[in-house]
Amino acid sequence: MATESSESEEEGKIRGGNDKLNIDDDLREMGKNAAWSVSSCKPGNGVATLRDDNLETYWQSDGLQPHLINIQFQKKVKLQLVFVYVDFKLDESYTPSRISIRAGDGFHNLKEIKSVELVKPTGWVCLSLSGTDPRETFVNTFMLQIAILSNHLNGRDTHIRQIKVYGPRPNPIPRQPFQFTSAEFLTYSTLR
Amino acid sequence: MENLLLNSVEKNLSQFMFTNAIFLCQRLLAQFPSEVNLQLLARCYLSNSQAYSAYYILKGSKMPQSRYLFAFSCFKLDLLGEAETALLPSKEYIEEVPGGAAGHYLLGLIYRYAGRKNSSIQQFRMALSLDPLCWEAYGELCSLGAAEEASTVFSNVSSHCLQKTCVAQKVSFSEGAIIDQLTDSDKASKDARLWQTEDAPGESQQDLKIKQFGPDIPPDTYRQLNNSSHTNVWDLKTPSPVLSQVLDAPPPLLYKNMRRPAVEGLMSVHGESRRKYVSEEMSAEVAEESGRRRSARIAARKKIPISQSFGKDSQWLHLSPSESNYVPSLSSMIGKCKIQSSKEATTSDQSISDRGSCVNDDEYSNPNGSSADRFSLVSGISEVLNLLKILGDGHRHLLMYNCQEALLVYQKLSQKQYNTHWVLMQVGKAYFELQDYFNADSVFTLVHQHCSLYRPASISMLLFCFSDFLSLVLKHLKEEMRLGYLAQELISVDRLSPETWCAVGNCYSLRKDHETALKMFQRAIQLNERFTYAHTLCGHEFAALEEFEYAERCYRRALSIDTRHYNAWYGLGMTYLHLEKYEFAQNQFQMALQINPRSSVIMCYSGIALHESKRNDEALKMMEKAIIADTKNPLPKYYKANILANLGDYHKAKKVLEELKDCAPQESSVHALLGKIYKQLKLYDKAVLHFGTALDLNPSPSDAAKIKAYMERLIVPDELETEENL
Repeated sequence: MATESSESEEEGKIRGGNDKLNIDDDLREMGKNAAWSVSSCKPGNGVATLRDDNLETYWQSDGLQPHLINIQFQKKVKLQLVFVYVDFKLDESYTPSRISIRAGDGFHNLKEIKSVELVKPTGWVCLSLSGTDPRETFVNTFMLQIAILSNHLNGRDTHIRQIKVYGPRPNPIPRQPFQFTSAEFLTYSTLR
Repeated sequence: MENLLLNSVEKNLSQFMFTNAIFLCQRLLAQFPSEVNLQLLARCYLSNSQAYSAYYILKGSKMPQSRYLFAFSCFKLDLLGEAETALLPSKEYIEEVPGGAAGHYLLGLIYRYAGRKNSSIQQFRMALSLDPLCWEAYGELCSLGAAEEASTVFSNVSSHCLQKTCVAQKVSFSEGAIIDQLTDSDKASKDARLWQTEDAPGESQQDLKIKQFGPDIPPDTYRQLNNSSHTNVWDLKTPSPVLSQVLDAPPPLLYKNMRRPAVEGLMSVHGESRRKYVSEEMSAEVAEESGRRRSARIAARKKIPISQSFGKDSQWLHLSPSESNYVPSLSSMIGKCKIQSSKEATTSDQSISDRGSCVNDDEYSNPNGSSADRFSLVSGISEVLNLLKILGDGHRHLLMYNCQEALLVYQKLSQKQYNTHWVLMQVGKAYFELQDYFNADSVFTLVHQHCSLYRPASISMLLFCFSDFLSLVLKHLKEEMRLGYLAQELISVDRLSPETWCAVGNCYSLRKDHETALKMFQRAIQLNERFTYAHTLCGHEFAALEEFEYAERCYRRALSIDTRHYNAWYGLGMTYLHLEKYEFAQNQFQMALQINPRSSVIMCYSGIALHESKRNDEALKMMEKAIIADTKNPLPKYYKANILANLGDYHKAKKVLEELKDCAPQESSVHALLGKIYKQLKLYDKAVLHFGTALDLNPSPSDAAKIKAYMERLIVPDELETEENL
């Protein structure tokens, strides 16, 4: 388990998810096309709260660690970033501390691709899925699993308020190997 | 009392005090219930945009004018069936459609909205034959794709038709001679009425003949006492275009006709109907007044001023009986007409009326000058028709998407006419369809500035007309700031126009905020269900959000409103391409190409669809066509090279790309593709070179990753390649 630079004091942006989107025009949220499930939940704090765009509602687990969030796509997709909204000030011992991200074709062959440790985070935490290799900016996978291995102050259960998953925009012109960059090409590439 | 109320109502209508007019008219109707007064009340309601009230009061009336108004109210309320029955009560024999050309035009619109294309084409053609100046009918024919050449429509036949009506008017004037063409603008409007009442040639000819040979004067018409030689007076019950007239005195001229509103219906269909009725029982005071004027006129024989009213300015022209003065005065009057940038119909009406008035004056002051009148009349008519011919040609070409021809045709117009917003908008649209966004932009900006020199109020009008195109142009040129500014300007001017919301939506779409853009376009649709473009734009946004079922639905809705909207066909084709249904995609692109056969973009996509359906020869042919169709478009060559590379013909592909590289040196995808090809040809040095260049030219991150992957693998032998990404 590689302990990367522990993202300590990750200053969350309250609406940080959207800001990031503006910077990278060519990323888009991929979560809509996926099936989301969790290992356990308390009634009233189920998996829907992770995707409701509401930072007041949260998912609360109700079982043994590690707590798992599974995101399954219908076909292989390229993913680049995962944003998680957690808040130590509000959740204290429910705040996750060690998170591991796994990817694979299904439950049988998940492999860990990222592991981080959070220290008192308050806001959007960015987990990049890229490897060190520039060729590996994206992870091409059917399934992503976010595992909460431990919480702050050794809490048993965890709260997560929102999760967003980002990948690259597809080529607006279908079946082309590369996207167009120059203005000239782009003006002729679509009609309105 | 009745006359007083009538005059008041007419005055109120002309001065846009609709609620007052309604109130007074209701008192009038209560006191003196008659069909005429009912029609007047309906007019008041329609002017005040209360089509439902007009509908209820006119239900069941039988008189032609009432039927026309009733049909109009039904049309406004979207009750197309009832409107049709009102205009065409029985199917066994064709009764005269009330309203003449206007009635036919309304019927044509009804059929068009109901989707009965052939019937609507027939009706529009009838309208045009009855009144060659019914421009909107020609416009509708163009957009239905069924317009004949402008020269046949606005031809000698129509010239004769117009002449006859003018001449007939003139003759009856000389006999009736209550015409006071001198002073007021209402004079001119009255005359305009006169011309237009005689639009249906058949009936009007009969009418006129009757009038010429001995009018049957209802006993309650009043007589001109001063006129010794002309003792007959015709009551005038015609609508007048209050649009641009300021009428202070009640119009003294009465002309009896069958109460057909005639061409005024033209404008009424656009919701601007302001028809006036002058009742039969004009007060004696009016008779005296006009009599007075007439005597004044007789006294001032050779120096007769003519008022040319264009709503804002009046000019006085001195008319002399000599022929040479007529033509310039006519043309100057017509020239004045041209400056007005509102509907041509109005202006041409006025020009004819003014011409008529001066013709009539001439008639009056120079009884021997009838041939001169004829000549000036003919020349006036032919000038107007020539103008309409050019505009009609241009319009037709534009809607058949022969944009180059359209531009050439519009160049033929005089400077003054060209610089009107309507023409400039058409020119801008032509450039837009040619994908020449820079020129389109400059034209639209010209219009924008043009009107800010005039009155601020006209800005709004122009903005609505071309804002949707301007916003599209700006979006294509990726000028966010200007687009944002335009959107704000539009919202501040008029929130209730669908074009405004389209412009705002385009802003958001440019910033890739597709969900908000979608909301904006849906607002535009709420404001006007039949705004085809808004539906298409919605479809585009859904497609960008990858919600292809919704996108398809939107495109199909757009097509149900207007089958010739080729953008919707294109959108459907793109959707199917994304969904990998290549045969369907190809069909849609074919439909689009049938409508707009010169669009190289559509040809490109058609070629891509063909290639994906494995019809490679056709694909390559299509790409060739695209290259020829628009030499400025670099994409067909790129797609061609891609197809060739996929087919394994690397040398040809390389050649095409090398050419393309020189034309478009800043495009990273060209270099990337070249790199791939060189790799296949085992020319690794060149491949590396091109991949490097591609990377330098800022490709998107996923492409950058791909290219780097390719570069890495150049070193590694081919067997170790296992790429799904490639």
